[in-house]
Amino acid sequence: MDFVLEQLVNGLTLGSLYALVAIGLALVVGVLRLINFAHGDLFMVGGYLFFLARLGGETPYGVAVVATVAGMALLGYAFERAVIERVLDKTWRVQLVATLAISIIIVNAFIYMWGLNPKMAPTPLAGRFLELGMIRIAAQRLVIFVVAPVAFMAFSMFLQRTRTGRAMRAISQNREACLVVGVDPHRIAGVTFAISAGLAGLASALIVPLYSVQPLMGTLLTFKALAAVIMGGFGQIKGALLAAYVLGVAEAMAAGFLSSSYADLVSFGVMVLVLLLRPQGLFGRKVGI
Amino acid sequence: MSATILRLWWIGAVAAVLLALPAIVRVGAPGMSNYLLNNYGIGSLVWVAFALSYDLSVGHAGTVTLAHPAFFGIGAYTAAVLSTGTHAPFLAAVVVAVVLAGAAALVVGALFFRLSDVFFAIGTLGVAFMANIVAVNWQSVTKGALCITQIPHPQGAADLTGRYYLILAIAAVTALVYVALTRGRVGRALAAVRGDEGLAQTFGANPFVYKMLAFVTGAMLAALVGVFQAHHISVVCPDTLGTFYTLNLLIIVFLGGVGTMRGVVLGAVLFTIIPELARFAQVLAQLVYGVVLLVVVLYAPDGVEGVLQRALHRRRGPVSIWGRETAGDPAEPKT
Repeated sequence: MDFVLEQLVNGLTLGSLYALVAIGLALVVGVLRLINFAHGDLFMVGGYLFFLARLGGETPYGVAVVATVAGMALLGYAFERAVIERVLDKTWRVQLVATLAISIIIVNAFIYMWGLNPKMAPTPLAGRFLELGMIRIAAQRLVIFVVAPVAFMAFSMFLQRTRTGRAMRAISQNREACLVVGVDPHRIAGVTFAISAGLAGLASALIVPLYSVQPLMGTLLTFKALAAVIMGGFGQIKGALLAAYVLGVAEAMAAGFLSSSYADLVSFGVMVLVLLLRPQGLFGRKVGI
Repeated sequence: MSATILRLWWIGAVAAVLLALPAIVRVGAPGMSNYLLNNYGIGSLVWVAFALSYDLSVGHAGTVTLAHPAFFGIGAYTAAVLSTGTHAPFLAAVVVAVVLAGAAALVVGALFFRLSDVFFAIGTLGVAFMANIVAVNWQSVTKGALCITQIPHPQGAADLTGRYYLILAIAAVTALVYVALTRGRVGRALAAVRGDEGLAQTFGANPFVYKMLAFVTGAMLAALVGVFQAHHISVVCPDTLGTFYTLNLLIIVFLGGVGTMRGVVLGAVLFTIIPELARFAQVLAQLVYGVVLLVVVLYAPDGVEGVLQRALHRRRGPVSIWGRETAGDPAEPKT
């Protein structure tokens, strides 16, 4: 029983990571109709930013988190202005190859600068374990379980309550009508990417203390996030969020009860099944994000 | 008429140079003839054949598959397992590998051609990741990350010159299949499917059949190249099947000119030769290629072939398929 609980904790950790990355991807898909094949690499960049921000443990954890998220948001905005802006009105094929090219550039630039050896950025909380009933759990995981839901709620409030958030939802529902009433798609695109990259940065700052950073760690994550976005109904944020947790728990259970080496096959298998049997996603189709 | 004769002259001249290349390098650069033949000759031809097999789908059927190296890897692993386990001859490995890759491509195609454009790309990206994971973990057959080593050179063509002529023959076969599928009736049907599937259907060209034709043929050719590569470099590792080669293929095809044979061949040769000449570190080369790919796809989607055609034939406007597409493809509404 405690083994199941342990795997559940692992799964929820993994799910939180997938969710933070997947909702950023779903936001871009929903608002801009663009699939960013370099999205997972933003998580990797965030990891290095967090590593730098920690200054080997000099900076308090909270400050490093805020610095990472803010830094990634700025980078995301600049990235949209410099590159994504140029592919937004192109066809899906051009967008696909362009974002893959960006992924090659980012990954190899980081291999060139940092090498392939993983960098550790531990926090005191990652090394402290708490006894919770039958299981031992790293305090860092509790931080993740608190911060991730708070981030989801803040994000949801932003989309529901603020003018910019409403504009994003409106664009995702009807682009032409938004142009008519004077929503500036140029500005929305920049903000969308800032938020998307900021969420990826938050994921890095939460998860990296438990593991390490390495230039290649984003590539498979891009695919996992895509799987969650497809399962959740293409471009729907709440669907992607739920699907990400389902994927995370399913993978942890597969790793615990079958074989850790084939756990990665789970997300692929589930995604294929969803694409073939329920292409509208697990939770049904609706309009907009 | 004169254009046809000129073209025949060209083909003859290129074929003569390629056939005489081992003799040329031996006479011209006796000290480094092996290096030149291996890194420039064989290296280029492997990528020429591999990239042409890829361009059948990407450049002609219009389907962007990201799983192409999986079929190359099936070929390489089949050759590795057969030749180290049972000492099967090269031709036997070719037959088994091509059949296996064709069957695998049929399954992948049957699953994913039901999906539209970008979902097909995502599905095949998953296939590439999964093929890599299986190769790493199926250790009883693939030896996992330890790689299969000491694969013998092909019998009857074991020395470098022999292997050069072998890959030259494979590249020639690939080029012939490429021409057969992209010209004439089949070529026009592929172009129709690429432009507008619904319209192609109403004119009697079943999109599923033609996309599958390009996909499966490309997979079988890739497996053929994979068999050669395994016997040539004597080692096969799991990253053969992953996405690393996919990115290289995209770079070659775009640098050269999507959907144009001369362009793809030039792209493959440039891709092989430039890093050899510049003595780039592998990582730096990949970084530069990434930038080149981005610039090409955004600003010069015709690649080198587009530049050539404008210079040689005073041609204006887009040349390659993707160049035309970015200029405004009526088949795909922009959102």
